[in-house]
Formats: sequence, C-alpha cells, structure tokens
Amino acid sequence: KQWYQRRVVISAGNVVDNFERREDSNKRVIGTLLGRYDKGTVIISESFAVPHQETDEEVSMDMEYANRIGELQKKVNTNLYTVGWYSSGIVINEHSSLIHAFYKCQCPTPVHLTVDTQFKEQKMKINTHISLPIGVKGGSEGCIFTPVQYTVQGSEAEQVSLKFFNGLKLNKKSPNFNDREQLLSNCTDMLSQLNLVLDHVKKVLSGSVVPDKELGRQLMEVVQSVPNLDTDTTTNMLNSHMQDLLAVEYLTYLTRQQLAINARINQVL
Amino acid sequence: DLSSGINAEWPLRPGFESIQCVEITSQVIMKITRHSQHELEKQLDPHVNGVLLGLINENKGVLEVTHCFPLMNNEIDEDIETNREYQLEMERSLRLVNIDYQQVGFYQSTYLNTHCDRNFLENVFVYLEEMKEAIAVIYDPLKTKLGNLNIRAFKLSLPAFRLYREEKDFTATMLKDNSLTFENLFKEIPVMVKNSALTNVLLCEIDRIQESTACLTLPTSSYLEKSMQMLLSGLDEVNQDLQKINLHQRNVYKQQQQLLQNVQKRKIENAQREKDGLNPLPEEDFSKQFKPPPPLGRLEPLLSSNRIAAHCEMIEEHVRNGIGKLYLADSFMS
Repeated sequence: KQWYQRRVVISAGNVVDNFERREDSNKRVIGTLLGRYDKGTVIISESFAVPHQETDEEVSMDMEYANRIGELQKKVNTNLYTVGWYSSGIVINEHSSLIHAFYKCQCPTPVHLTVDTQFKEQKMKINTHISLPIGVKGGSEGCIFTPVQYTVQGSEAEQVSLKFFNGLKLNKKSPNFNDREQLLSNCTDMLSQLNLVLDHVKKVLSGSVVPDKELGRQLMEVVQSVPNLDTDTTTNMLNSHMQDLLAVEYLTYLTRQQLAINARINQVL
Repeated sequence: DLSSGINAEWPLRPGFESIQCVEITSQVIMKITRHSQHELEKQLDPHVNGVLLGLINENKGVLEVTHCFPLMNNEIDEDIETNREYQLEMERSLRLVNIDYQQVGFYQSTYLNTHCDRNFLENVFVYLEEMKEAIAVIYDPLKTKLGNLNIRAFKLSLPAFRLYREEKDFTATMLKDNSLTFENLFKEIPVMVKNSALTNVLLCEIDRIQESTACLTLPTSSYLEKSMQMLLSGLDEVNQDLQKINLHQRNVYKQQQQLLQNVQKRKIENAQREKDGLNPLPEEDFSKQFKPPPPLGRLEPLLSSNRIAAHCEMIEEHVRNGIGKLYLADSFMS
C-alpha cells in the first residue's frame, strides 16, 4: 500500500481556476500534474491546464501542448516530472481511461486527481486514484480506478498564507497585509481556542461531560510545556529583551533623522 | 534642457496614476510562496522572480493579478535566452486555455529588503515603459516564515519615471527640480486578496492543513541581528557617499582656485607686456582647459537611502510586535 502525499493547494486551485475559465462547450477540464517521487510517495507540487474537447462520443486533447509545456516546466522547475493528471468533476469514464493511457507513457503510475466542482456531495470533494488492470488475461481486460489516500501538506510559508486566507473565505473582505493586524487575528484565534478548552474543563469538573483520558493527558502536556522558572529569572529575561528592542527602536529613529538630513544635501550640491 | 522638470514631448499619461489597488488571487500568492520555497530548498538562495499576468479593470482603477509563472535566475547567459523563449511560449499557450496572458508586471523575492537596487529599478522601468499600469510585487519569504504574510506592490513614481526616461543617472539639480527624494522614488500600491467563490469553497475544504503558530514566535530570533547588520552596511554606504561628495566639492573648489590664479597671472603678464610695449596676449579661455569634474550621480545614494528607510520601517514593525509578544509571554509565565 502506498501513501500518496501532495501539496494539493496549488493543484486544486489550478483546477478550479481552469474550470471557471473553460469554454462553455466543455463540461470538464483536464491538465497535467507535476511533482516528484520520494521513496514510495508521490508529491504533487504544480499543475497546468491542457486544452481538450469532450463530447459524449469522443474525446480529444492536445497532446503536443501537454508535451511542450511539460518540457518547458521541467526546464524552469528542474526537479519536477509529470506524475499524473487532473480533471474537474467526479465522473470517471472511458474517456478518462483513454487520457490515462496517454499519461501512462509519461510516467509509470500516473495519479489521477479529481476535484468535484459541481458539489455532487454538497462539498468540493478531492480524490486521488491510480489505475489498476483488472479482468481475465486473454479475455476481457480493463482497468479500474482505485482511490488512494492522500494528505495535504505545505511548507511553513504556505501554512502562513493559508492562515491569512482564513478570514477571507467567510467574509469577502480582504484582510490587510499589516503585521499588527495579523498578530491581532492570531491572538484572537488563540484566545477563542483557550476559551474552548476552558469551557470543556469546566464542564468536566462540574460533571456534565465524561472526562476523556487522552484529552486530559494532552492538556497536562500543554500546561507543563510552559517553562517553570521562578519569577525573578523570567522578569530579568523579559526585561533584557524589552531593553534590546527599545534600544533598536531608538537607533532606527536616529537613522531616519540622519537620512532626512542626508537627503537635504541634494538641495545644496 | 534636461534640468527643467517637464519634458514637452512626454505629456502626463492619464493611465499612470489610474491604478489605486492591486487585487491578487490566493492562487498567485500560493504559487509565489511555493516557488520561493522550492528555490530555497534547492540552493539556499531565495531569490526568485517571475512574471505576473492579469488584467486591468479601469472602471474601478484596479489591477487584477490572476496568474503567474516563474522565471529562472539570470545567472548564466543561456538562462536569459531560455527565459525569453519560455515567456513567449507561455504567452501563446495560456491563450489556448483562456488564462489571461497579458503581462502586468513581475514578482521578486527579497531578503531583508535588499531588492531595491539598480537592477530592480531597471526592471520596473522596462515594464512600465511597455504598460503604464505595470507593477512589481515584492514577496518577503523571511517575514512570512516569521508569521506575517508579506506581499507588497510597487511602481516608480511619475517624476522618477519621467526622469529615468531621460537620464540613467540623476544629478542633484535634476532631483531638486523634480522634488524627488528617496521617499517618493517608488510608490506603493495597496494590495488586496480576492478569490472567486469556488476558490473560497476549496479553501474551506483544505482547512485541515495544520495550523501555523509561526506568528507568535518571540522576537528573540536572529532576524533582528540580521536586520541591524543590513542597516549598518547601508549606513556605511551613506557615509562613503558623503566622503565622495566632500572630495568632489574640494576638487571643484581647487579647480576654481586654479582657474582664478591663471586668469590673474595672465592679467599681470599682459600688464607687464603693455609696459614693455608688446602686444598683449589673448586672455585664453582657461575654462576649456580646466573642465570641471562631472557632477556626481545621485541615483545610487537615492536607492541606498530608500533601502535604509525600508529597513528602519521593517525593524520598527518587528520591534512593536515584539514588545506586544513579550508582554503576552510574560502573562503566561508569571
């Protein structure tokens, strides 16, 4: 059994974007997935759209386009290979297996990613599949798309960005890129989380909720992770840090004044 | 006359100031962060740049950035060629899939705000010449790692653009006449993030990515040290520039003295010759022999002042947040 990980954020975003811009005649869009292999897992990092036409009877895609753009992408992002393809919509039919066959020439086990942009199940479901052959050898053969597990991963910077977009999705107003506002929103988040925990603890104490050992252990860990130093050391530490910061602020203030004076030279020269 | 402010052949283009706001989709931001992260993993050099694509919404005065693609670093000459081919190819291909193919600017990552140099200025200028609404988006990966997503959009201010069009290096008189200081060299345009409805749904779906607590790190990291070092080196540059100015002034003064001396000598000679009854020598125009030293280029000091000012701003922000976080930590530990 293989785990397939991926950074779905960008790829799925691409699918959605592609879907929104499709020609009205197409019911779904496809594209190539790029990524790399890492000890039995596939990491999907990027993707790009491929033009294709599909009617009930036939399907066609621009294979030359896929190859060309694939080559270009490989030049610029040097360690990304084709690892599969995506399509919008949850339907997998014979057309999918045809397209899958094309991608089989490009990589050994292509991964097929579907993003349900039509909300067949009340939410945008993301699935990954690989194709396995079934059937009787010599008789009727075919292939079946079996779902594979995936996890969503991201680097630190991506996580920060996602957190930033968090506020965006509920109320359409865009948050500012101001540092202080981001800090404030993070603090309020933390506060609400603390309140939640506190609520739960109160309920457990009053007996209205059955205590959970696992949860209790984790809470103990959290409480104990605060370093237990005596007040003198902590005050000293914090004060020295505070002094460093204030000194630096004073220095920057001086620097700004010097810059302003310096700029006056241009008036004199 | 180049030192006068307005060049009659370059009338005020109405579109230059028409963009009030830049709207970026979260898709583009994710791509930029991922590209930066990718380069960082590969070679510890987080300098990335790429092209932004999108469209202009003139009614609302908004520039929408809807797509981007990365470019390679121009370290080898063949990279530049590949980049050019790549750009053309991408443009053609994106047209086929209905993605906006119009280049609206470029993005670049910065390290502690050191992006602001001559190359950057040149790039911004080139893009602006092609399209007057072009912007440069600067992404700061270091700050984002510390918890604050940092994306800003810049363009050259109108007087700076006009001036750079004429002269590649500014002199002090030009700066004075156009009232150009390091503060209004670049203009910052506010950036907003805008998503389509489907993308919002997708974001809700992938919410299960682990939460990031990077925003709440205490300000004791080496970030402050590095910033201070950059500040110091910037100030060194400014000092060197001051010394150059001093030297220049001294040279100009010396030359003028010499000129004066020569003219005096000539006058005395002539007076002597008159007494002797000889023809007076022509009073040569000594100023041709003594060409004054060329005026100093003020572009570099302007850029470094800009850099230092931006450093100061960054440090101040960091410090302010840091003080808040320290108090927060204090309340936890006491």
